[in-house]
Amino acid sequence: MRESEMGCADEKHTMRFLLLLVSIAAFGQSAKFEPPRQADGHPDLQGVWRNASIVAAFNVEGQKAYYNEPGGSSVIVDPPDGKLPYLAAARQQANDNHLHGERDPTGHCHMHGVPRSLVPPFPTEIVEDSNYVVLLSETEHSVRIIPLDGRPHLKNYHAWAGDSRGRWDGDTLVVDVTGFNGRTWLDQSGNFVDENEHVVERFTMMAPDTIVYEARVEDPTVYSRPWTLRVSLRREPKGTELIEYDCIEGERDEIHFPGAANQKH
Amino acid sequence: MTRFIFPAPQIRNIRCGFALAVVLTVASGRAWPQSARSDLRGIWMAENNADANLERAQVIVDPPDGKIPYRPEAAAQQKHNFANRATVDPEKRCFQPGVPRAAYLRSPFQIFQNDRAVYIVYQDAHSYRIVYLNGSPHNEGLGYAMGDSRGHWDGNTLVADVSSFSDATWLDAAGDYHSDELHVVERYTRMNPETLMYEATIEDPKVFTQPWKIRMPLRLRKGIQILEDECEEGENGRRHHVTLFKEAR
Repeated sequence: MRESEMGCADEKHTMRFLLLLVSIAAFGQSAKFEPPRQADGHPDLQGVWRNASIVAAFNVEGQKAYYNEPGGSSVIVDPPDGKLPYLAAARQQANDNHLHGERDPTGHCHMHGVPRSLVPPFPTEIVEDSNYVVLLSETEHSVRIIPLDGRPHLKNYHAWAGDSRGRWDGDTLVVDVTGFNGRTWLDQSGNFVDENEHVVERFTMMAPDTIVYEARVEDPTVYSRPWTLRVSLRREPKGTELIEYDCIEGERDEIHFPGAANQKH
Repeated sequence: MTRFIFPAPQIRNIRCGFALAVVLTVASGRAWPQSARSDLRGIWMAENNADANLERAQVIVDPPDGKIPYRPEAAAQQKHNFANRATVDPEKRCFQPGVPRAAYLRSPFQIFQNDRAVYIVYQDAHSYRIVYLNGSPHNEGLGYAMGDSRGHWDGNTLVADVSSFSDATWLDAAGDYHSDELHVVERYTRMNPETLMYEATIEDPKVFTQPWKIRMPLRLRKGIQILEDECEEGENGRRHHVTLFKEAR
């Protein structure tokens, strides 16, 4: 008797537990954000987007506020301590870069590279069809054309913005980027990558005006392990237009960085 | 009497030609429906020498003499530019190429489009333009190298009205130039899957005595992708273009 009662009670509990699971699952399902879609069924990521948070532009590892720079936490979500897993010599290089802001390639009108182009609070327009996703950055009028047709990467290509190949993983756009020139930084603090950089980016629309951008960076000659950064891109108000960015065209960055004209960076 | 009788071989040719034309029309109609004619997407490039010298390339269709209608003082400036073109040409110094020059450089560009705009991405100097289609007015006085572009569809032709220019670009490598009062109206018409007809009416009262017009076909380039063309500073402190490959698969 006791045993069967126990058994019966167990079943009741099990049933309740199952019902609870089912209702959680159902709730989860109904709460899941349904992104706007293209005719081909893939999420429509088009629009003008911008990282609303500023601190990562200064330092992806986060920093305390000082002078006119804001403080904030790291955007590195892996490793969990939020620190870039540098090899010892590379950490030394980053520390040295930190003392030489004039080496920052963007100060010489060069492109931000990947993932840096999406980290500072500058706008990027996403244009998308079934064959391509295009990222138009306002800064340096840099462009990334991302074919979605599964073609292989270019060989012997060494570019500031790398060579991008995209695919859809469910509702997430996954972009594999190689072919870097190894000269880009990650932020204004001198954190950097070299030519062995390989990035896998993930763009997921989480709300009508929010794309979560994740970049997993692998670079065995700079880092002891792959690491991942994550930032939220916010949709700019409707009607926002990118403006033309002049850098080479008349701006003399030597004014900002005296004596930098002959710096190798 | 005999003059109305065609020689037999010619009749055969006409018949064959007509039959061929019908077959081609039907076939191309099937492969390329009406709905695709306002689809300008693709990688395009000029096949002429317009960038070297607009007048010599014979792409000026108005005025009928094929010459750029310079004001006298502007003609003198053009001669000066020509003499110093190797060092003064802004495109060679890594400035963005400007409009209309970007369309007929010897490097490709790629068109993307959606409901908001037509996006023209040039390989040269990783330059791009956004031609807005929402009827919004120009932003005035911006001094953009690539101008401020507002477009509309005239049938299957994209018409782009471009103004708000700087005076920092040239029209070709031969020193043909403009001022910041440049106003360009471009027309892009996809004549067939492989051909984009490009037309630009160029107006600049500071430099030219009248508006003038260029027209040329641009060809679809298959099997290539737009590559990164960044500028580097050389030993002499001058910047030069670095396109990573001339062409890549």
